[in-house]
Amino acid sequence: MSAAPSLPVRALAALGRPVVAAARATLELWGVLIGTLAGIIRSYGKGGRRPRGAVLAQMYAIGNRSLVFVAVTLGFIGMVMMYQACLQFSRAIGDLSQVGLQFLRLVVSDFGPTLTAMMLATRVGAGIAAEIGSMKVTEQLDALRMSGVLPIDYLLVPRFLASIVMTVALTILGAAIMYGAGGLTAWLSFGVNPRTFFDPAMVQPRHLALGLIKAVTYGAAIPIVSGFCGLRARGSSEGVGWATTAAVVGSSFAVIALDFALSVGALWLFGGDL
Amino acid sequence: MTARAFVEFIGVEKAFAGKPVLRGMDLAIGKGEILYIIGTSGVGKSVTIKHLVGFLPIDRGEIWFDGQRVDQLDERGFYPVRRRVGMVFQNATLFDAMTLTENVALPLRKHQGLGWKAALADARRRLAQVYLADFADRYPAELSDGMRKRAAIARTLTLAPEVVLFDEPTTGLDPVNARRIDRLIRELSRTLGVTAVVVSHDLPSIMSVADRVAFLYQGRVHALATPAALAASADPIVQQFIAGRSSGPMETPGF
Amino acid sequence: MIGERTLTLLGARAIAVTREVGGIALMTGQVLRALLPPRLDGRELVRNLHRMGNRSLPIVALTAFFAGGLMVVQSAPFVKRLGATSLAGWAAGYAVLREIGPILIGLMFSGRVGANNTAELGTMTVTEQLDGLRALAIDPIRYLIVPRVLAMLIMLTALTIIGDLVALVGAAVVAYLVLDIDWRTMYFSFADNLTPHDFFHGVYKSVAFGAAIALTSCYFGVTVKGGAVGVGRAVNAAVVAAAVSIMLLDFFITYATA
Repeated sequence: MSAAPSLPVRALAALGRPVVAAARATLELWGVLIGTLAGIIRSYGKGGRRPRGAVLAQMYAIGNRSLVFVAVTLGFIGMVMMYQACLQFSRAIGDLSQVGLQFLRLVVSDFGPTLTAMMLATRVGAGIAAEIGSMKVTEQLDALRMSGVLPIDYLLVPRFLASIVMTVALTILGAAIMYGAGGLTAWLSFGVNPRTFFDPAMVQPRHLALGLIKAVTYGAAIPIVSGFCGLRARGSSEGVGWATTAAVVGSSFAVIALDFALSVGALWLFGGDL
Repeated sequence: MTARAFVEFIGVEKAFAGKPVLRGMDLAIGKGEILYIIGTSGVGKSVTIKHLVGFLPIDRGEIWFDGQRVDQLDERGFYPVRRRVGMVFQNATLFDAMTLTENVALPLRKHQGLGWKAALADARRRLAQVYLADFADRYPAELSDGMRKRAAIARTLTLAPEVVLFDEPTTGLDPVNARRIDRLIRELSRTLGVTAVVVSHDLPSIMSVADRVAFLYQGRVHALATPAALAASADPIVQQFIAGRSSGPMETPGF
Repeated sequence: MIGERTLTLLGARAIAVTREVGGIALMTGQVLRALLPPRLDGRELVRNLHRMGNRSLPIVALTAFFAGGLMVVQSAPFVKRLGATSLAGWAAGYAVLREIGPILIGLMFSGRVGANNTAELGTMTVTEQLDGLRALAIDPIRYLIVPRVLAMLIMLTALTIIGDLVALVGAAVVAYLVLDIDWRTMYFSFADNLTPHDFFHGVYKSVAFGAAIALTSCYFGVTVKGGAVGVGRAVNAAVVAAAVSIMLLDFFITYATA
């Protein structure tokens, strides 16, 4: 005979369940990252089959899907940000000669990589989760396993490598467009001389390094978080929808949180010199 | 003006992507009868009943319902028709975010002007009539196909329709559940006087329930008769279909 | 030729985008028409508000907190060099209220609620539940779409207002932890430099973003084709369309209200 659990026990269980679920999800997420890194070693180590064709195909897919999207969104937000900044600077300081210098520093070390990655989290992250999730629910992943292929090696390794390369490439493009659109706005709406605006004097190697580190980190995080969501898909079309949603929110939030961590780290390293 | 049957299809044509499905189909359905539409897959059985409630527009021809021409109505114009012509889909199409009771209560609340509480109570009573009283608070995903079909029938009946269209009501069900659905269709017709149009492949169901059977072949009604007369028909094509022989005079695309 | 192929691809893309814009415009028209006369299903509206709010409040609050903190971190080198601690709240608050807050909250809301809405409507579409409604003589636009559109519009506006507050708190917390600026300095920096106009500028935007997210997510949901794969693809298309709409609307509203 078993007695029903007492109220405190049940309350603890109710509180514990989400904590356990969250801990398990975190473990699984790290598992996907480690599995992917191990997959890279397996593929590129001795006797591994380098998925060069697959990486190129994924790079093409990411670029083809996101180029126009990143260019349009970053261009418009560059114009808006410059407009707002000029509005405030002209009201508070009355001098717009510093605007271009400060803007370039921010675009290189933060806005360029972070906003590009936010857009890619939406575009690429959702795409990865939808693809892998659909394969999961239609049992194609099991079919892969049956033929002796690890799904992570086959699906995630090429996407991981391609995402890192393409995030860096699209960040450079996005930052350039954002900067250019900002300069255009400052010139057309506030009469800031383009020669004063497009002056790279403020940008130091450490700004470039910070921007690059951010781009690489985001490029790695997006496929890992999205792949994790795709692999967790269950059921049918609902499961795929759920995985896609979770991938968008998860990878967008990963970008924001990583941005915060890296920015605070850089500030701590360089202080007022940053 | 000539007298029209309760439901009448006149020379209806419909093609999908250039491929003709219905090629001048004529069919008249009398009030209160149980008419089965049979034929091979892709012959246009489901398409026919979807035309009547405006889910698919026809290419040519006329469709009449109770003295009113309905094929030219727009989406809004079809709403009054759909209140009188109910439809039970092949996969039940219950709303999966709602319990069975809520599913049945929705049209009661929308069309019979009931409040939420009254609608729920009435929905429970209606579910009991299709032997689902014990499952009223479950979600569709938790139930078997047969239960979902019965709930869908209960939901369709909330509008007190004069015609109910059934799209393969017994397909995918075990024989016991299939006969339960048969019994429900017969009861509807006898007790409520509902006209039933049933698309089906299920021969036992056809033989025991149908008043008349329309056999669709090559986009037209090839034979229209009582089940017994159809079974006794000398027509070689009908014979091949009834006997379920894979070879014979019947021309089926892709074979 | 590569040039020819690229042109063909671009042309096909342009046609697809035009068709989608047309479809969304058509749906906007249907929604507006369904609101005249305004017979609204209050029950559905409340249910959606509850669900959407529940689902998105935690992630929006977390995002807003980080966004406020981030703006302080970004302005920190400037503030430190000039020693102008009283400017920290100005820069962070201005950026958060007018731009970063509404945009990031909008993007997160689109990812959480908009994407979920597309997936839900998409699943209903591929399982013929929308036809099930029509067969019961219930207009899917009036019953399903209108309450969702209104709920998203109201909820995103409310979340942006809440998010603004959380972001300012986040800015103050990070300023305290990273820059050693005390609460009072931050408070006065906000109070002296920010105007209600800055706040409302962001709120107007959130109303427009809410409408854009709602209409795109519903449109891509009800036009799903092709089972589970189609639902995934539609969710992807919906969040991308919402992100583009947010950036475009942001641009136009900023200029129109200048």
